Amino acid sequence: MTLEMQDLARSVVRLAESSRQEVEVYTIKQRSLRVEVTDGQVETLREASQTGVGIRVIDRGRLGMAFTTRLDRESLRDAVQLAAANAQSSAADEFNRLPDPKPVEPMALLDPKLAQLPVDVKIDFAKKVEDAARGYDVRVTKVRQASYGDGVYEIGIANSRGVDVGYQGGYCSTSLMVVAEEEGQAETGWTYDFSRSFEDLDPVRVGREAAARAVEMLGAGSLATCRVPLILAPDVAAEFLEVLGPALTAEAVQKGKSVFAGKLGEAVGSKELTLIDSGLLPQGIGTAPVDDEGVPSRDTTVLEQGVLKTYLYNTYSAAKDGVESTGNGVRPSFRGALTSGIRNFYIPAGKLSQGELMGQIGRGLYVTSVMGMHTANPISGEFSVGAGGLWIENGRPVRPVRGIAIAGNLIDFLKRLVAVGSDLRFYGSVGSPSLVVEGITVSGE
Amino acid sequence: MHIDRDKLAVVLAVASRTGSDYADIFIEEAYTAQIFCEQDRIERVTAGIDAGAGIRVITGETTAYAYTNDLSLDGLKEAARIAAAAARQQEGDVTVDLRQRHPSFQLPIAISPETVAIAKKVGVVERVNRTARAADPKVRQVTVSYRDISQRVIIANSAGSWVEDERIRTNLSVNVIAIEDDKIQTGYESLGGVIGFELFQQQNPEELALRAARRAVRMLGARPAPAGRMPVVIAGEAGGTMVHEACGHGLEADLVQKGISVYAGKMGQQVASPLVTVVDDATLPGKFGSFRFDDEGTEGQRTVLIENGILVGYMYDYLTARKDNVAPTGNGRRESYQHKPIPRMTNTLILPGRDDPQDIIRDTERGLLVTRMGGGQVNTANGDFVFEVSDGYLISGGEIGEPVRGATLTGNGPKALAMIDRVGGDLGFAIGLCGKDGQGAPVSDAQPTIRIPELVVGGIMEEDQ
Repeated sequence: MTLEMQDLARSVVRLAESSRQEVEVYTIKQRSLRVEVTDGQVETLREASQTGVGIRVIDRGRLGMAFTTRLDRESLRDAVQLAAANAQSSAADEFNRLPDPKPVEPMALLDPKLAQLPVDVKIDFAKKVEDAARGYDVRVTKVRQASYGDGVYEIGIANSRGVDVGYQGGYCSTSLMVVAEEEGQAETGWTYDFSRSFEDLDPVRVGREAAARAVEMLGAGSLATCRVPLILAPDVAAEFLEVLGPALTAEAVQKGKSVFAGKLGEAVGSKELTLIDSGLLPQGIGTAPVDDEGVPSRDTTVLEQGVLKTYLYNTYSAAKDGVESTGNGVRPSFRGALTSGIRNFYIPAGKLSQGELMGQIGRGLYVTSVMGMHTANPISGEFSVGAGGLWIENGRPVRPVRGIAIAGNLIDFLKRLVAVGSDLRFYGSVGSPSLVVEGITVSGE
Repeated sequence: MHIDRDKLAVVLAVASRTGSDYADIFIEEAYTAQIFCEQDRIERVTAGIDAGAGIRVITGETTAYAYTNDLSLDGLKEAARIAAAAARQQEGDVTVDLRQRHPSFQLPIAISPETVAIAKKVGVVERVNRTARAADPKVRQVTVSYRDISQRVIIANSAGSWVEDERIRTNLSVNVIAIEDDKIQTGYESLGGVIGFELFQQQNPEELALRAARRAVRMLGARPAPAGRMPVVIAGEAGGTMVHEACGHGLEADLVQKGISVYAGKMGQQVASPLVTVVDDATLPGKFGSFRFDDEGTEGQRTVLIENGILVGYMYDYLTARKDNVAPTGNGRRESYQHKPIPRMTNTLILPGRDDPQDIIRDTERGLLVTRMGGGQVNTANGDFVFEVSDGYLISGGEIGEPVRGATLTGNGPKALAMIDRVGGDLGFAIGLCGKDGQGAPVSDAQPTIRIPELVVGGIMEEDQ
């Protein structure tokens, strides 16, 4: 069976006029729905369909790109010509290459039920999320954007060297923000979950989790500036990993933009730290038979017990280093440039529960939220972020704190990792269990 | 775009057929050009067209929204049917009579980027790259990114309003990496606005390159910022991230109406120091957040939010204004046809006061001077906010001391604004891409030099000996 988008990609490749040009076409067609509920009523219902085409032309090493949302033959021909014209303005680079075709294993990424689910079932799901949050505690006063969303997509990738692939996929997700209030103080809790199949998404668990996070912060006060062990909750740890990801791409290393340059084979983190990137992870949101330039997906161990094993490669950076692509060619959308990035990037689960981790540190801070993570510098590794969480004494949480900040350097952070929890959870394409890091400055009073 | 009035009226009638209170359509054709330079060469040039329409149907408290890339009459009618069906009301026949509205002010563009040859744009990018690289031998990598966008829109609604507009934005950013031994630091600068290629005549892009390069090199020698609570002077040249986070978001009417803003229910009350007046102004020529019409067809305007410390206004889009029974303030914005409009800031500023900026520093015994702010974030429900200091110095005895690196400042919006005790007579702008509910919006923020007696500096404690 070939797919509509695969046929489209293949036909656009043929529109190139000159045989000296190498052409790649990426096509995507997606349908999505999102429902948001407030006070048991549908506040917003969004249904969308979109089709887009992204084109790369390499002309004697020069790279030009174009995209369009218009699918008539003339517009597509114009787009190919525009990409070819743009190539004339860039500098030649011998490593600008397109991948050769390789055998591709098909994958089942589309839960057929997802496409057929009636909208009422989806609205009910969002209502259940809201109800679960409100029912958790009387101090829960507001629920914002209790939501359910899903999407199905079809992607085609073809190039003039013979790559010709297509696949379909689907996902569903839910999120909400909860406000809890007591004695004039308002605190918030947020959570998010996703799955490839509707059955695996639990509205009650998600609603209660966000509510619990808001309620546990009630009465939060500040903290004196100190240096203590931290336990990062899985979603906070995942935010740190998201900053770390780009620095582990070969592209960043080759461009002198990575603190990991020249460190292959060296210990860059503590022995407790293993980091994996996988395009094959069952149920992963970053899972697909191929990456965004049609290179078959694989599993890559990036750090093993703290030792840097490899960088993440796309076709360009692999050609430059004389190695094989690890299937990490990534496009942000059909409009964006093909760069390199993570697929499913995670720290595997360890053995200790959250309670055991608290027992192990005795006294410190359990960080449940951070603010301003987008200001962390992926090149220097430096970060300074606002934080909130629970103060731990004698291995147990004793009071909530906020209005504090934590700062340091990610590389330093990796070396200070002393324990890994068993509670691995994915937030989109990044996953982590709770992590214990020692000796981090907490700024407060 | 070839979409005539009759076709629009038919589509709106389909959207309104189910007895909705309100329907609107937003049709967009966006042409972008991007140039990316790294490794001392032009790595790639991209251009593209993104065209589509979003149709919104409002019934009571429910908004249904559908979007499509299919701009044929059938495609638009199908999207209208989907949105209308989602709203689920009784069917009835509706006719819509559209009258075109024209802007009462202009945001002139001197040189439309579409008329500028790609080689000329590449020339600016190469000049910035060369200047940054030549600034210091410690500069090892320079990334220059140029982007222009011409967004043509048609916005019409079931109340009969019909607007056609074009928004042209041009911007350029430079990120410099400096390396010394095993230390690596970066310097980032950007400029841009609702402006054409004349941007580079009005502002010298090479100065931008030098500022970024010098900062990256200076930070190599800077020590980490101290940790803890201290007085902070934010210079006018630092930009306006603080005002954007400390009160801007909390004054957006959707967050206020949902009760997740610390500024909810405070209209007419003192929420800031009497020295502080905050406005949001979409009418400023050339600024990044400006427009003649917002994305719902309401004219851009200047809205006073806080006047001498008293809360006097919120920022409204159509839906939130309807709920509060007031006129929309022209703050209904959407990232593209794929998104629904929500209340957003445009150009947000603290107006200048009377103090000499130099005096403010001189009168500060000890603290932190911020000369460049980076990104920020706020929890509107409790008012806690953070912003990044990308260029900072210690103040000691009223003198500017040594530079410090990488700190985030943490505070609480109403508390920080109430504490402001000095406001300078200067004013400095910075541009940014503001994120909210998964939508990005180009904005600018500005402030004079101000002093906040207490903020928490997220720094590093000296290692225990």
